[in-house]
Amino acid sequence: MFSRGFWVIVKREVKRFMFLYKQTLLPSVISSGLYIIVFGAAMGSRIGEIKGVEYIHFIIPGLVMMSVINPAYQNSSSSIMQAKFLRFIEDILITPLSGLEISLSYIIGGTVRGVVNGALVLLLGYFLTGLQIDNWFLTFVYLFAVAWAFAGAGVIVGIYAKSWDSIMVITNFFFMPLIFLGGVFYSIEMLPDFWRNFSMINPLYWMINGLRYATLGIAETSHEFSLGISILFAIFFSSLASFMFSKGYRIKT
Amino acid sequence: MKPALEVKNLRKVYEGGLEALKGINLTIPQGSFYGLLGPNGAGKTTTIGIITGLVNITGGSASVLGFDSVSEFRQARKLIGLSPQELNFDVFFSIGELLELQAGYYGLSNKAAKERTTVMLEQFGLTEKRNSRARELSGGMKRRVQIAKALVHDPQIVILDEPTAGVDIELRHMLWNYLRQINKEGKTILLTTHYIEEAEQLCETVSIINDGNIIVTDSPEKLTQAHGMSGLEITLTSEVADLKLDPWLYHLIDGKIHVNIDHPEKEMAKVINQISEQGGGIENVRIYRSSLEDVFLKLTGKSLHEEDEKFETQEALLNV
Ligand SMILES: Nc1ncnc2c1ncn2[C@@H]1O[C@H](COP(=O)(O)OP(=O)(O)O)[C@@H](O)[C@H]1O
Ligand SMILES: [Mg+2]
Repeated sequence: MFSRGFWVIVKREVKRFMFLYKQTLLPSVISSGLYIIVFGAAMGSRIGEIKGVEYIHFIIPGLVMMSVINPAYQNSSSSIMQAKFLRFIEDILITPLSGLEISLSYIIGGTVRGVVNGALVLLLGYFLTGLQIDNWFLTFVYLFAVAWAFAGAGVIVGIYAKSWDSIMVITNFFFMPLIFLGGVFYSIEMLPDFWRNFSMINPLYWMINGLRYATLGIAETSHEFSLGISILFAIFFSSLASFMFSKGYRIKT
Repeated sequence: MKPALEVKNLRKVYEGGLEALKGINLTIPQGSFYGLLGPNGAGKTTTIGIITGLVNITGGSASVLGFDSVSEFRQARKLIGLSPQELNFDVFFSIGELLELQAGYYGLSNKAAKERTTVMLEQFGLTEKRNSRARELSGGMKRRVQIAKALVHDPQIVILDEPTAGVDIELRHMLWNYLRQINKEGKTILLTTHYIEEAEQLCETVSIINDGNIIVTDSPEKLTQAHGMSGLEITLTSEVADLKLDPWLYHLIDGKIHVNIDHPEKEMAKVINQISEQGGGIENVRIYRSSLEDVFLKLTGKSLHEEDEKFETQEALLNV
């Protein structure tokens, strides 16, 4: 379905983040390791078990999601922003590739980075805490769908962004709060009503809840709904990104 | 035969309302060496941007060997290689890698992309720089990479947007020879420039563009004939009283005879004969011809030269 040129951009995107592994792969592994040690080991003994799993295991799916969402988003947004700023995006725009192909190739590049980051954190969880995965296939589906959704969001922001700042604003003021409020470190059952209801309208809560079901076999709420939300977001953001790219918003003059 | 490039009634209004192209027409035959000549801001880059898909069209149409640049963009773009005016390099890759990537974007196989890259690096004297990054190269070398990038997928039509701006004389001549060669081998070349000499030296046909309008299209020779002045300047050994040069008019400037003639080479013998017949001795005959530069000045009221100097200072500043 897609031309060779499409896969060349995907390859380029993957090579780029591999080349920058100190900025693209290591940070999420290090910060997740720190969270596991500080929160899991230090507080885990006081909190004990949640829904029958050790606290240290309970927090890992949320940490994995953090390592999927931010890198997937940052990969496509910063890659497009740089290509636009230094104008080498023109090298791609003049080729026979369609806007749909170009945006999807950036999305896949970001997805690969998100999945790789998430997998590294799962691996870290295995080594540090002996985490065993309940449902491999479903785990992969969540990593993939969520990475895809946020790589799509990254394309949209990359199209609009004029600087690093605008990219980081989204991470710091939207994604990080929503991830933390999405129950990475606690069960929403521990929350007062207001915050529990608030969590219900936080899509990131559903994504974390779903991954927790896939990896640990426990769910606070409907895991089917979680899967639906994840896939819906993936479809929505990537469609919007592709539409904008095809129209040439901010990319063509 | 379909034209290599055809632009019909092309209009471009940028966001903010600036009308950069006011309905231009261009027909660029296959195999031709075509120049788009105009001062900064005339609309050259905009025209090229529309043909190559970098700029959205406001009105009219552009086609490449009959393929519409919007509705049949895949076929159209495959045929074109573009060297943009402003240097633009993928910063994460070496020269070799970025040429391979560019070939890959156009659909060449890995093997073919590598082979073409090697050929291009050799052609442009960059073989030793294969593993260097663009930022490590001199300005002239960067320009060579830029042009190599346009040619790496071996397109039939090559568009070069001010390829020799800020490039030293030696490289300029090397590029000219190379472009002449690939044109002879059958590639159609569209070149924009504000160096008159470049247009005169290379292009069979030139369109002069100014303020979003094409003012005139013709060969450089015809343009200078039609809009410039040419003639003979004759120094006599002895003056002739009441000299008549039928059917030409002449005037004396500093004791020299100036005759305006459209085709001075052709008519030179006749003029000399008439002078001899009337008893004039001839010491020296010189052909003079106004350049495309003069034509340009006459047609647009603008000089291209000032722009050059401005551009070169800018370039010099950037290189510091
Ligand atoms: N992206 C843009 N937005 C608004 N105006 C532009 C843009 N690009 C070019 N222009 C304007 O359009 C006119 C033509 O520009 P351009 O095609 O770059 O001319 P040239 O290549 O002949 O120097 C100029 O007045 C220029 O300022
Ligand atoms: Mg220009």
